[in-house]
Amino acid sequence: MEYASIEREIRIEAAPEVVFDVVSSPEHLKDWWPDEAEYGSVPGAAGRIGFRNEDGSVQWEQFTVVDAQPPRLFSFRWTHAEGETAAQGNSFLVVFELEPEGAGTVLRMTETGFRERGWTEAVAAQEHAAHVSGWDFFLPRLPAAAEKAAR
Amino acid sequence: MSAQVDDELWSAVGDPIRRRMIDLLLAGAATATGLAEQLPVTRQAVAKHLAVLDRVGLVHAATAGRERRYRVDEAQLARAVAQLSAVGDAWDSRLDRIKRIAETIQQTQDRKNRKTRQEDE
Repeated sequence: MEYASIEREIRIEAAPEVVFDVVSSPEHLKDWWPDEAEYGSVPGAAGRIGFRNEDGSVQWEQFTVVDAQPPRLFSFRWTHAEGETAAQGNSFLVVFELEPEGAGTVLRMTETGFRERGWTEAVAAQEHAAHVSGWDFFLPRLPAAAEKAAR
Repeated sequence: MSAQVDDELWSAVGDPIRRRMIDLLLAGAATATGLAEQLPVTRQAVAKHLAVLDRVGLVHAATAGRERRYRVDEAQLARAVAQLSAVGDAWDSRLDRIKRIAETIQQTQDRKNRKTRQEDE
């Protein structure tokens, strides 16, 4: 269903093996998204990712690896309720596809599940995840803060 | 606005035919007949799609002569587009970070490999 997804494609000047490691390993995931990541990289392994609130507490989201075929494909589901098995309808599915191109990689990302889960819930999950992780929270506020300081 | 309306707004603009209809309405088409002439669907299907768009406030209808004329509510359209891009923006910055991290790792590896080669020579 094309209308229930977000799709992006980006060219990266790094080998697919390197990019695969960055998008799939819990250690690297923490560098570009959550503050905490605890999951096994094998398909079906249940885990969780955490976003630190301003008061220091951690908001956990369930996270399950769906498919891992290094260095070509990595997919996972997130935001299903704790104790539930991740499946269509109760979670968002994120798929990373890696295509070698010269010495680099074309990385394709698709996130689906908005229709099943509801758009409002998707925006809330994304905004929460974005806002509590440092830069995304801070950057949009910079111009306003600078304007205030200049007054 | 309620969560229900947000979800309906999202699925209203999510359909490719309805997105095409919005484009045509913005370009000057105004009636169901006019839209049907430019789309690969029947006039009945067009009417159904218009009803969906009308329900979420993306188009407004007014009766003029024999046919109803439709216009796009640009404020509501802007709102739908903003919602659509909210999740996309979050992914854009994540992918940007992925790119930076991977390229830094690659550069470090390349440097190390060059050094090893130089030492071997």
